[in-house]
Amino acid sequence: MAMRRLALLAALALCASRPAQAALRVVSSIPTLGSLAKEVGGDRVEVDSLGKGYQDPHFVEPKPSLMLILNKADLLLHVGLELEIGWLPPLVLGSRNPKIQTGEPGNLDCSRAIPVLDVPTTKVDRSMGDIHPQGNPHYWLPPSNARIIAREIADRLSQIDPAGAATYQKNLAAFNAKVDAAEKKWQPMVKKVRGVKIVTYHKSWTYLSQWLGLQEIGYLEPKPGIPPDPDHLFRLIQAIRAEHVQLLLAEDFYNLNTARLVAQKGGAKLLDLPTDVGAKPAIKDWFALVETILQQLSSNAQA
Amino acid sequence: MLILLLALIAAPAGAGEADGGVGQSSQGSAKKPPGAADAGEDEEALRRELEQALGKDAAAAAAQGQAPQTSPAPPAATGGATPPPPLFRGAQSLNPDISAILDATGGYQRRPLQFPNGDDPILRGEEGKKSVGFTAQEVELAFSAIVDPYFRGDVFLTIPNQEGLEVEEAFATTTSLPWNLQIKGGSFRSAFGRQNGQHLHVQDFTRRPLINSAFLGSDGLRGPGVQVSWLSPLPFFLTLSGEAFSIGAPDQPEAGTTLAPPVASFGGGEPTDLTYAAEAKAFFPFGDAWSVYFGLNGATGVSPGLFQPTDTGVNVIGANRRSYLIGADLYVKWKPPNVAAGYNSLAWQTEAIWRHLEDGLGVPGGWDGGFYSQVVLQVARRWFLGVRGDVLGIPTSSSLGQTVRGGASVTCQLSEFARVRAYLEAEHVSSGPSVPGVTLSPVVPADAFAAFLQLEISIGAHGAHPF
Repeated sequence: MAMRRLALLAALALCASRPAQAALRVVSSIPTLGSLAKEVGGDRVEVDSLGKGYQDPHFVEPKPSLMLILNKADLLLHVGLELEIGWLPPLVLGSRNPKIQTGEPGNLDCSRAIPVLDVPTTKVDRSMGDIHPQGNPHYWLPPSNARIIAREIADRLSQIDPAGAATYQKNLAAFNAKVDAAEKKWQPMVKKVRGVKIVTYHKSWTYLSQWLGLQEIGYLEPKPGIPPDPDHLFRLIQAIRAEHVQLLLAEDFYNLNTARLVAQKGGAKLLDLPTDVGAKPAIKDWFALVETILQQLSSNAQA
Repeated sequence: MLILLLALIAAPAGAGEADGGVGQSSQGSAKKPPGAADAGEDEEALRRELEQALGKDAAAAAAQGQAPQTSPAPPAATGGATPPPPLFRGAQSLNPDISAILDATGGYQRRPLQFPNGDDPILRGEEGKKSVGFTAQEVELAFSAIVDPYFRGDVFLTIPNQEGLEVEEAFATTTSLPWNLQIKGGSFRSAFGRQNGQHLHVQDFTRRPLINSAFLGSDGLRGPGVQVSWLSPLPFFLTLSGEAFSIGAPDQPEAGTTLAPPVASFGGGEPTDLTYAAEAKAFFPFGDAWSVYFGLNGATGVSPGLFQPTDTGVNVIGANRRSYLIGADLYVKWKPPNVAAGYNSLAWQTEAIWRHLEDGLGVPGGWDGGFYSQVVLQVARRWFLGVRGDVLGIPTSSSLGQTVRGGASVTCQLSEFARVRAYLEAEHVSSGPSVPGVTLSPVVPADAFAAFLQLEISIGAHGAHPF
């Protein structure tokens, strides 16, 4: 009996003394979410992303090799609001990973707590273009939303890996302090661009506009996902001139030739901006991403 | 005329697509200082310049693939200064995603097909005669949802050529099995090869390739069954799967018809005779743009034999022989991840199947086989060009003669939810099956031509397709 108890104790001791648990594998649909997970997870997480920062997040090829990455994931982070509906679901099903299926703790829709903008208030149909019925999914740029995403990730990591809960909360507090410091540093740039009138290619800058107080006068796409036509661009150029629009914003994965023509004719300046971590090699995290956008906006806006 | 029709239908798309590269000339002519509300500039001139610039872009896009990327986004215009609306998530419901897909087709064919697929456009017409007309080639109704924490459910009902509701697929897929296993149960399409698993609206051509009805059955290899698949833990993507099906006997031809239908590989024997299939699929990405998907497939079942129609009934020759299929498929795709560089892509797809039928009473067994190869080139954001070549009867056998077919398609994808396709094909039958001591009617005429215009629309929420 004593021997048996001793063996049990030894077995328990063996369990307890095994090397520190391997890092949690976090896989994000877009690199920015992964970057925020790294801030919160620190050394306890390894982060990988399915989409690249220089890719349109609506159109990622659902290559089977991405299922391999998902197969080993402990946590899947996705933007939600149907941004990834065209490519993520078959990958999640094909990953054969029970941990990251919908409804499991390892599947986090990062839009859960976001105050979503552009939620349709009337019945939607596709005559309105290629729309997101649940609202605008391009929400990860403003600091207030980054804080929410980071908090959601910290809470979820704590749930999956309770042993690291204290670390995650500590890292979250550190991240929030970093955001505070950054916001202070960015204050002059934020002040400078307030009220500036802009035109954007796709309706994906709404959250940024709301944060910075930019005034969106129009869009190159007549409807979301529908390519520009001459009549629409003609009216847009008239509006740009009448409203004295200063800047035309477009993601750097769009073909910018038409945007260049419209900017030139209307007398606005075209800015091709990153929207995701990794859009350019120098943009390594959320802070660099937002700072790049702010610098571009403020250095090109006239007070 | 077909091309003219296509051009007419696609014209608005062409105009819309004109958002591509702006030529040097238009930039050069716009050297005026960017003064807002330039009073000197004539509005009409600006309008003309925009049209001209965008028109040029369409040509440039076709030549260089410089078409724009656009993507879905929400409606409504919430300006930056407008306060955010209260948090509201659309009406929640536990209904499955429901969608309907229509393939409406019209055209001409010189004679009925020797190897008809269940989802081919069937035009009203008599055997051996040409036909012209329209058909609803297929209506698909799709329902899919997560069932519970353990299953996902998918149901696809189809109505081919306005006749009869068919269960194309209705199956459950497990989501929570351990050891990288996944089980599919219900009635579904086999993973044998590449085109067999795909529905009509995923095909790049109006008709499926010849090997489909020649070896897998007019509806492809599909039916009630079970599939177990395993994702290997190797550092590259490799899945192995095994399947068992209860395949029903194919319909016998009506008395009085002359042409014998193709010898089916499966569906013969006793009700206890199942059809078994196994597949290995491997995927290799090369950089961001290149993908190579390779499959090896095998299947075995019992052939119901050759149905020879007579004036009064049907003679069955060589019934209940075991059949073995071996197949290989290759899919190579090039598509750059960043479309700002251009909207071009290229996909090459090839499949081959060989069949062995055992010796039967008075019918020698042997090997026969066939393959197809197709290339689909995306030349602009909305335009796809495809060519396909089919060969059957390498070698020929008592169950299969020799047929070659060439096809070409031009597809205009107006949006994610609508496309128009022109399809042309020419077929030549060199020989039919030749059973010793039996006279079988040859296909007449040996050379045939067909042309179709196909409109495909999708309404409702339809799940994303795998790679």
